[in-house]
Amino acid sequence: MIIILFSVVTIAISISVIIVSQKELPTEDLKLAREALTIAKEAEANIYSEKIYKESVQMYDSAMVNWSRQNSRFILFRNYDRIINFAKSSKKKAEEAREESIKKSANLSKDVQAAFVSLAKKIELYNKLFKDLPLPKSVFDAHNKSKMFLSESKIAHESGKLKDAEVLFKKAEIYVNHANVAAGKMLRDYFEDHSKWKNLANDAIAASRGGNKVILVDKVAHLLYVYQSGKVIRTYDAEFGPNWMAHKERTGDNATPEGNYRITKKKERGNTIYHKALLIDYPNAEDKVRFAEKKKKGLISRSAGIGSLIEIHGHGGKGFNWTSGCVGLKNRDMDDLFRLVGNGTRVTIVGSIEPLSVISEGLDF
Amino acid sequence: MKSKLIIAIAAMGVAVLFSSCAKVPQTEIDSAQAAVQEVKDSGADLYVPEAYSALVDSMKSANESVEVAKAKWFPNYSKAKEQLAVVSQMSTDIKAKAETRKVELKAEVEAMIVEVKALVEENKALIAKAPRGKEGKAALEAISSDLAVAETTVTEVEALLANGDLIGSNDKIKAAKEKATSIKAELEAAIAAKGGK
Repeated sequence: MIIILFSVVTIAISISVIIVSQKELPTEDLKLAREALTIAKEAEANIYSEKIYKESVQMYDSAMVNWSRQNSRFILFRNYDRIINFAKSSKKKAEEAREESIKKSANLSKDVQAAFVSLAKKIELYNKLFKDLPLPKSVFDAHNKSKMFLSESKIAHESGKLKDAEVLFKKAEIYVNHANVAAGKMLRDYFEDHSKWKNLANDAIAASRGGNKVILVDKVAHLLYVYQSGKVIRTYDAEFGPNWMAHKERTGDNATPEGNYRITKKKERGNTIYHKALLIDYPNAEDKVRFAEKKKKGLISRSAGIGSLIEIHGHGGKGFNWTSGCVGLKNRDMDDLFRLVGNGTRVTIVGSIEPLSVISEGLDF
Repeated sequence: MKSKLIIAIAAMGVAVLFSSCAKVPQTEIDSAQAAVQEVKDSGADLYVPEAYSALVDSMKSANESVEVAKAKWFPNYSKAKEQLAVVSQMSTDIKAKAETRKVELKAEVEAMIVEVKALVEENKALIAKAPRGKEGKAALEAISSDLAVAETTVTEVEALLANGDLIGSNDKIKAAKEKATSIKAELEAAIAAKGGK
């Protein structure tokens, strides 16, 4: 009886050992899943393929939790199938995440690099077209901030932090767009008067055809031309007031008037603090009418004066717009011009002779 | 009597066979887990990411070894215990590495702040000396505004540093340094060009 009982127990144990030893443990599958996760993380799948990577981690964790649960059961009743499935799925997802991450980060890197080029073009556009305009400080600052964010974005890109680079680039883009849109609008609004300027310039050139000398001032080009017989006989660099884009309307606006004027007085050295000067007849009749209308509409303060003493004078060559609305030339240019022209010489001042398309060199803004 | 004794021995044998021979090294597991968490809290995942990743992998591997042992008739946790001990040691090393990297990075950022501040001051002095040049005052105004942005960035970096964001402050101060250096080069070139004329 005892022998029979002992034999039964021994057989039972042997069968159990055989059953258990034949059960496939999830060890290898979990190892593979873990390794796949590590490789995926190295490929920054946690950043560029966040969703799939998270799923893979969750599956690995579920596998481990289930394994622990199964191990707490009686040895003969353990079942590792689900754990193996979780581990296999985790590995598969980790591989997917890695592949997606590689693709996405490569694409993002390309996008960010393309964005750098596009942003650099916008910054270049600003430097070419808008930098010298009398822009509001906010525009100025926005442009500079965009450059700083671009630098930060490039540093992040170089360190492989593509997401950070993208965020910083987007900030740079917001600022550069703000600066360019505001400056572009200012320039486009200004050039709405171009046909008027073109007519004024054509009239001035035509007026020189009889042999008379005519002065034509181009504010955007910052040039003063002397025409005679329809041809340019002199070109000088010119400087204006800080608010040079505006048409002069009142005292103290630091703007340079636009229109047809005449030299009314030649001031030799000693009669002017600006080396030599040619006084023009600002305000002309048209300026007076415009001033009165604007005053009537309340666009100009009731106490404001129209201004006077607009001259072409020396002390220029400072390289910036420093006058109070006059046209500043270098002293040697002033000497030359002073010799060349006399009282009554026509002075036509325009915003720009060339259209905006030429000024912008075809750049789109 | 003899038969009763045999039955008792057989029953004990079965009991021994069906019971665990060793206990799960829970203390070691908890201790290693806590050490890994401490390493994470120290910012190792940011400052020494590769080492941190290896640590997490080792912890997972140790957990797997625990389950492998648990799955056996006669659990033997010696391999898992060894792995857990390695994890604990690794944690100490990696935490120290992370702390060292943080100290280094902080020192680098602080040194760069000093450098950029000095560059800003140098640039201000150069602006005062700079010729109006071809592009004149407008260009200098643009440079001054650029410099103001670099100066503001330094203030932002100081705030980031105070909040413990070493990586963010490092990237930002690098950009500010780049900006201040390029401004200095621009100004020096303008001054040299004038001197040469």
